[in-house]
Amino acid sequence: MGNVLVWVVWFLAAGGCLATGVAVVSMTNPFYSALSLIGNLASLAVLFLLLSAEFLAAAQVLVYAGAVMVMFLFVVAYLGGRADAPWAGGPPLLRSAAVVAAVALLVEIVVVLGLAWGDNLTDPAEVSDSFGSPAEIGEAFLTDHLLAFEITSIVLLVAAVGGVVLGTTREKEEETA
Amino acid sequence: MIAGAWVCLLSPLAGAIAITLGGGRISRRTAGWISTLSTFIAFGGALVAFLGLWAADPSDREQVSTAYTWLASGDFEVDVQILLDTLSSTMMLIVSGVGGLIVWYSMGYMAGDDEERRYFAYMSLFVFSMLLLVQAGNFLLLLVGWGLVGLASYLLIGFWHHKPEAVAAAKKAFVMNAIGDATFALAAVLLIWETGTLELLGVFEDVDALSTTTVNLVALGLLGGAVAKSAQIPLHTWLPDAMEGPTPVSALIHAATMVTAGVYLLVRASPIFEAAPDVQHLAAVLGAITLLVAGAIALVQWDIKRVIAYSTMSQIGYMFLAAGIGAYGYAIFHLLTHAFFKALLFMSAGVVIHHLGGEQDIRKMGGLRTLMPRTHLAFLVGSLSLAGIPIFAGFWSKDGIIAASFALDSALGATLYAAGLIGALLTGLYTFRLYFTVFRGEPSAFVREHAHDGHGEGPLSMLVPVGVLTVLATIGGLVVIPGVWEPFLHWIDETAEPLVHATVTEDYGTSAIAVSLALVGMVIAWRTFRAGRQLVTNPGTWRVLEHKLYLDELYDALFYRPAAALSVALRRNVEEPVVERSLDEIGAGTIQVGGEVARVQSGLLRTYAVAIAFAVAVLVVVFVAVR
Amino acid sequence: MDGPDVGWYLIVSAMLFGIGALGVMMRRSPLIVLLSLELMLNASNLTLIAFARQQGNLDGQIFALAVMAVAAAEVAIGLGLIVAMARRRMLLDVDQASALRG
Repeated sequence: MGNVLVWVVWFLAAGGCLATGVAVVSMTNPFYSALSLIGNLASLAVLFLLLSAEFLAAAQVLVYAGAVMVMFLFVVAYLGGRADAPWAGGPPLLRSAAVVAAVALLVEIVVVLGLAWGDNLTDPAEVSDSFGSPAEIGEAFLTDHLLAFEITSIVLLVAAVGGVVLGTTREKEEETA
Repeated sequence: MIAGAWVCLLSPLAGAIAITLGGGRISRRTAGWISTLSTFIAFGGALVAFLGLWAADPSDREQVSTAYTWLASGDFEVDVQILLDTLSSTMMLIVSGVGGLIVWYSMGYMAGDDEERRYFAYMSLFVFSMLLLVQAGNFLLLLVGWGLVGLASYLLIGFWHHKPEAVAAAKKAFVMNAIGDATFALAAVLLIWETGTLELLGVFEDVDALSTTTVNLVALGLLGGAVAKSAQIPLHTWLPDAMEGPTPVSALIHAATMVTAGVYLLVRASPIFEAAPDVQHLAAVLGAITLLVAGAIALVQWDIKRVIAYSTMSQIGYMFLAAGIGAYGYAIFHLLTHAFFKALLFMSAGVVIHHLGGEQDIRKMGGLRTLMPRTHLAFLVGSLSLAGIPIFAGFWSKDGIIAASFALDSALGATLYAAGLIGALLTGLYTFRLYFTVFRGEPSAFVREHAHDGHGEGPLSMLVPVGVLTVLATIGGLVVIPGVWEPFLHWIDETAEPLVHATVTEDYGTSAIAVSLALVGMVIAWRTFRAGRQLVTNPGTWRVLEHKLYLDELYDALFYRPAAALSVALRRNVEEPVVERSLDEIGAGTIQVGGEVARVQSGLLRTYAVAIAFAVAVLVVVFVAVR
Repeated sequence: MDGPDVGWYLIVSAMLFGIGALGVMMRRSPLIVLLSLELMLNASNLTLIAFARQQGNLDGQIFALAVMAVAAAEVAIGLGLIVAMARRRMLLDVDQASALRG
């Protein structure tokens, strides 16, 4: 019974993922695209939960969907008056080449998966209940992956400074323009 | 005594370097003195070496002195080494002695020329090169000397480089000598290949071990070089043109020393030639042909220097004849006496030319006997010696050669004998034609005009050497009196054992015939001159002889014109379209390809993104396959 | 583990990746391109977490968290660039940024 529920939830979440993904790519209005991406992130959060990554699911919703996408929406609103340019344009072969490349990548991944399914992907490891919990993640970050932790924080700092610099430059250009 | 040999070799080089480095800072006279003194010091060194050798035990008369190893490649080595033996000591004396006299003479002859310093530097360079040639202990050093004398000859023939004829003559001499240099070099390469060494003594030891083909080829190569350097037929056309150079140059290089280098080589490499008798006899035949042809052409020349030049060619023919049949001693003996009387003739001709303000055409001369008595005496002595009248020097040497060919006792010997005798007649004819035309009779109008602005008969620097050579041309032959004493022949025999010996009767018998023929020639010349005619009256013959048997024209048509046409054709069809344009086209092509390739850089981000996606797809396949 | 095997998650992630790649390659608006890029990043996050579950190793989740942080930083800068483009009155068209043209 529990198994069936999991499967149903899985299908809903996966379907939502893919549907919103297609929506992001195909909508003409960037606002709708951004909203679709929020939906995508939410579906992904559900999938994360199914994979015992609770902390990450929370982080996804809070940070990604909550902060990053809101930032996106702000910008889209700021610029939103401009209509999105249609799909077409560029070299004539571009569309077919892009489709071919994307399909090639997909097919390759599927093939690799297929080849490896039997060996690597059938028996997931037994994990404790605290797998993916904040405590475990925190412990891993501060012991095994301390360097990654620190460097990531520096990256964020740099991004913040960069944002400020870009903002200041923009103001100066506003004055001269 | 070896030290003497080294001093002899290096003193003229030091002189040349000193003059070159001195440049404009030394006066012209100083340059002349440096050159003269360095040559006389060389003579001193040669004398020391000679005396030391003479005093030494006969078994000790072959000394090699090595300075250092010049080249080394694997087992093969070439050292800077000199070989001092009876042959080389004799040549050293001749070169430095006669050379010294001629350089001294040129101090007077070239006085006032703007470029005297260059002249004396070249003269010292030449003396050094010739000494290097005769003293070399291995074939490579010999070849170096060989080439350097060719260079010095080129520089000195073309000394007056504002004269286009001089420049052309210098080029001609150099190119024809280059042919000889090439065959010589090929022979040397063959020697390295077969014997592994170029040392003279080493090669001579190994000669018997060589195959007949090898030895014949080597001998041919050496003969080619000798023929070119000594202006024998067929490589002789450069010598008459070389008279464009100053007269002392003609005396030194084209009479006494450089052109005799070929004879020296034939004698020095006698072991090789003896192992290749056909080639040796070829040398004799070429010598015989040359002595006849050159003698005939000398009968119709009008330029005083050219007559003497053809005479040189003819006399060297005698030397080749001697070396070719194995009479090495007589070949070198004739080289010695020839150096004396030919240099004498050139130098006195030079005094005449100098006195007449540069005129060389004998038709304008005449009756100089009264106006230039000392020069007349010198020229007369030279002519008598050349014609082979006893007791002058030429008599002893030339007749020895003719007698030796008689002693050969074969068909070849008989032919050579006949040629030698006819040559004696011809020599008498052309020599005395020259003498009578220039010095006898009444002074011509030209002479009367110009003889006043001469500078007397010449300064001391010109008269003394001429005087010395006059004496030498008279008594120089007395070192060989067949049957009585032959120290010179014995001396040379120690290095090159002769193949033929004429008996004393044969010798004197031949002499009698030869002298009579020479006297006959003299008489005919006298009577023709008195009658105001020429020796050759047939206009056809005259034209052929005057054009030197049309050989110059033949060579021009055979070699020069095709080469010129080929080079023009190559230039037009290969150089311009292919080489020159291809460079332009490579440039243009590169730019074009660049332009095409640059179109890939469209600047469109999306195309780049597609490219990246494709690349990743390919890489995935690669990684999967590798795993 | 209840529910689908890890492999199914990977298939979803692969398809998401492909869709995102298509969007990057084909859309002209830089905003949409950035959104598609986010799609691709999330797809790889899903892969990481799926494998973390498969191996029982937390490293995948750590990595995914780092990716999220970096993606956030990248979006911040990217949006700054887009606003700069707008400020300069450029058309919001990726084809306009063709200074790399050779």
